[in-house]
Amino acid sequence: MTDDRVELLQGTLEMLALKVLALEPMHGWGIAQRIQAMSKEVFVVPQGSLYPALIRMKRRGWVKTAWRITENNRRARYYELTAAGHRRLEAERSTWQRASSAVNWIMNATLAVGGKT
Amino acid sequence: MNVFSDLVERLRTLLHRDREDRELDEELRFHVEMDAAQYRRAGASDTDAHRSSILALGGVERVKEEVRDARGTRLLADCLSDFSYAVRALRRNPGFAAVGILTLAVGIGGTTAVFSAVDAVLLKPLPYQEPGQLVRLYESYGKHFPEDGRGFVTPVYFLEYRSRVSSFAATAAILTYNESGADIGSGADVQRIRLLAVSADYFDVIRVHPATGRAFNRDEETGAHVVILSHALWQRQFRGDPAVIGRALTMSGVPHTVAGVMPDGFTDPIAGVVDAWVPADLTPGKDPGETSDHYISVVARLRPQIPIVRAQAELDVLDAMLTKQYSVTAGAKRSRLFPLKEDIVGGSSRALEIMLGAVVLVLVLVCVNMASLLLVRGTERAREFALRSALGAERRRLVRQMLIESLTLAIAGDVAGLIVARVAMSAIVTLGSGSIPRLATLTLNPRLLLFSLAIASLSAIAFGLSPALRAARTEPSDVLRENSRSATGGVAQLRLRDWLVVSQVALAFVLLVGAGLLIASFERLRSIDLGVKPGEAFVFEIHLPTARYDSTKRAQFFETFATQLATLGGVRATGAVSRLPATGAYHQWWVTALSGPLANTKDSGNDAEQRIVSGNYFMAAGIPLLEGRLFDAYDDASAPDRVLVSKSFAKRFFPGVPAVGQRLHTGDDRRPASEVIGVVGDVAIDAEGKPDIYVYHAHAQYAADRNWALTQLVRVNGSIDRAESDARRVLRALDPELVMFKPMTLADAIGRGEAQRVFTLRLLVSFALVALAVAALGLFGVLSYGVRLRAREFGIRMALGAEAGAIQWMVLRRGIAVAAMGTALGLVGTLALSRMMATMVFHVSPLDPVVLIEATVFMMVVAGIASYLPARRATIVDVREALQ
Repeated sequence: MTDDRVELLQGTLEMLALKVLALEPMHGWGIAQRIQAMSKEVFVVPQGSLYPALIRMKRRGWVKTAWRITENNRRARYYELTAAGHRRLEAERSTWQRASSAVNWIMNATLAVGGKT
Repeated sequence: MNVFSDLVERLRTLLHRDREDRELDEELRFHVEMDAAQYRRAGASDTDAHRSSILALGGVERVKEEVRDARGTRLLADCLSDFSYAVRALRRNPGFAAVGILTLAVGIGGTTAVFSAVDAVLLKPLPYQEPGQLVRLYESYGKHFPEDGRGFVTPVYFLEYRSRVSSFAATAAILTYNESGADIGSGADVQRIRLLAVSADYFDVIRVHPATGRAFNRDEETGAHVVILSHALWQRQFRGDPAVIGRALTMSGVPHTVAGVMPDGFTDPIAGVVDAWVPADLTPGKDPGETSDHYISVVARLRPQIPIVRAQAELDVLDAMLTKQYSVTAGAKRSRLFPLKEDIVGGSSRALEIMLGAVVLVLVLVCVNMASLLLVRGTERAREFALRSALGAERRRLVRQMLIESLTLAIAGDVAGLIVARVAMSAIVTLGSGSIPRLATLTLNPRLLLFSLAIASLSAIAFGLSPALRAARTEPSDVLRENSRSATGGVAQLRLRDWLVVSQVALAFVLLVGAGLLIASFERLRSIDLGVKPGEAFVFEIHLPTARYDSTKRAQFFETFATQLATLGGVRATGAVSRLPATGAYHQWWVTALSGPLANTKDSGNDAEQRIVSGNYFMAAGIPLLEGRLFDAYDDASAPDRVLVSKSFAKRFFPGVPAVGQRLHTGDDRRPASEVIGVVGDVAIDAEGKPDIYVYHAHAQYAADRNWALTQLVRVNGSIDRAESDARRVLRALDPELVMFKPMTLADAIGRGEAQRVFTLRLLVSFALVALAVAALGLFGVLSYGVRLRAREFGIRMALGAEAGAIQWMVLRRGIAVAAMGTALGLVGTLALSRMMATMVFHVSPLDPVVLIEATVFMMVVAGIASYLPARRATIVDVREALQ
């Protein structure tokens, strides 16, 4: 473990979990692992928050659950994206893209832009 | 987000709570194992790997809690467990639960039932279109009737109103002066039906038209032989045959053509349940007394947008013209309009208002009782709350639990209240039917039910919550310390409860006085001498069909029937009269003295009640003969006109001289003068014993005047039932097609006017008793609680040698002081309400000292008993236990 890891951005855990599940159904631990791996080990997934988030997503009808057998022959609860979950992911993605480019514009701005000194 | 699926998911989770928890356990176990395996692969020891993975997760229990929160079922689940805790708590203390539920049940049930009755009778509009446009028209005359009198209308004036009052959209005549009927069927199937004669516009006025067939037209206002059937009669007599129009229905021997059938559920606004309608006979000139005989009820519908005052103004102008046109001798004529509903509801509104007042008092009492009950309980449980608070229970949680306990109590009380409401409503309908109009339309009003449910539940919740709030405020350590006063609420709180009981006693006392006044009134009413002996006599009506009985036959029939009945064993005397005494004014004629000191003076005339009698009526009714003789077989149509007069009549018309042998004139000018042959005892005109003056005519001499529906009166020696079946047999032998109509005891028949009073009386007495019971329970509860609080003190006193009597007296004294205070307050309330009660009492002052003293004594005795029981408990405190 290295110290250049950062906490997940506020409110992005659900979106990231949706993205992971859009690839394939997965159990809770696996979701945490995937996010970590897909962020090239930059993000630390707050595992304690993951399960309540999954329950909330289930309540909203974005994911459904089923007990399945893992590759290692263990029983685990798998989460799978529903149609509503896919729609939600697309909505989150476009919001995220607008927000992140807006943040980038601000961070890259120079005083020359219409500013008065 | 789909709100519905969210809710379903939450409920599903709630229902499978255990399974969900098991699955969560398994899921987290899997997570930790997978994580630990990874740490192990990185070289950590088994223990370290396990610890690190749990650390990364942030603690298994914490995650579980957070997941439970995320499920959104937490509140629901907690409420469920609070609810079952509340049920257990209530079952642990069944006395408290029973008193609370009972109090609520009485409060909710009683309030709802009485409110519904008031709603049905007073508030609900009449079941006709635009009921606000319906008015009733009455006439009064300067001399004959008091200015505010509600007199019937003559046929001639009715026709004038119908054609000349432009404010009326339609005007109808209804013949309700005599209850008329007809016999249909024959042999054993003969039955009497209720008929109502109406003018053609009647159906336009009430805006209800025959469902099948047609209404009457004005050409038929000659008493044409057509009939409109009620839905029920159509079903009964024609089995609902749709082709009934044009068919014949023979009524009292006369075939009538069926013109129409009224819709199902229609009731007449004035006459109530009617079997069939026939056209009234309004032929001009048919009735020689058409400008002086008042027997028509007039109901009219105002034109839209015309207020009643404008119609009244128009009538006032018309009255002046009519008085001149018909040279009315009886004084200035005045027609008055009343909204129809007010006219129908009339006198019963006062009784219902009193009931409503009583019910409001009981409801307040119930709320107060709930308050003191829950305050006591809350204080008792202060310790429990303090303990739980010390053990870390959140304040919010405690308040919620108390709320749920109160709610549980309230719901149980509400359910019991619903049951009480249903029972009370059917009791009200049974008690009030016949004396309170429109009561049959009584239904459980959902709005009212909600109202009383809300009031009672809110009081339970509000007062149930206050102890929890207080408990949350107090320092647990204070309460838990042995000996502390804060757990018991201290002196100030005890004072509050005392005051609550004082107010309960005061409210109960007011109701007790009200009930006492009604009972006293009722006793006075019962002991009033009506001039007849109501016991051991029964009455019934016989209606002779005009088609088969002419005037001679009618006269003969009634005399023969009376003679035959008199020969039966067990029958002492039998006779008949056109209207029973004490049942209201009926047949008033102008009477003039032709001889004696007042003859030819301005005082020679007066209105007097006229009665037609047959058989041995006076002996059957128990009216004594004071002077002269009674009618006999020779006083028939061929004999000169003879009359009997009442004692007061003799005094009024022939002051200072013997009445027998004097001459007088009754009715209009065409009637002959009559000779007074006897004077009989006075009888009252109504059940309240109001005196009146009477002239009696022999039916044998008056049979030709009209087909009198005489009420038969049979005085018996022994069993009324046997005499009734004997009379039925005699009647069948004389004419098998005649009906013994409405048989009842004489006491019932002349007690009719009392029915409304009995209704009010019974209801108010039950309310007073309920109030008394609630107040006594309140007193008992507060004192018992006080005894429990002071058990230690009493124990010490007893250990130091105090006498049991002295300790009992300490408790008793407090109870009596509270009750005395309440009674004094109640007396003040009684003074304030005396004006309202004055209209309900009869020959009793609303501040009657006997009633007030009786109520006070009764209250104090009940309070004494309610205080004695806890006082006894105080002395059987186990000294050792109390001191430990």
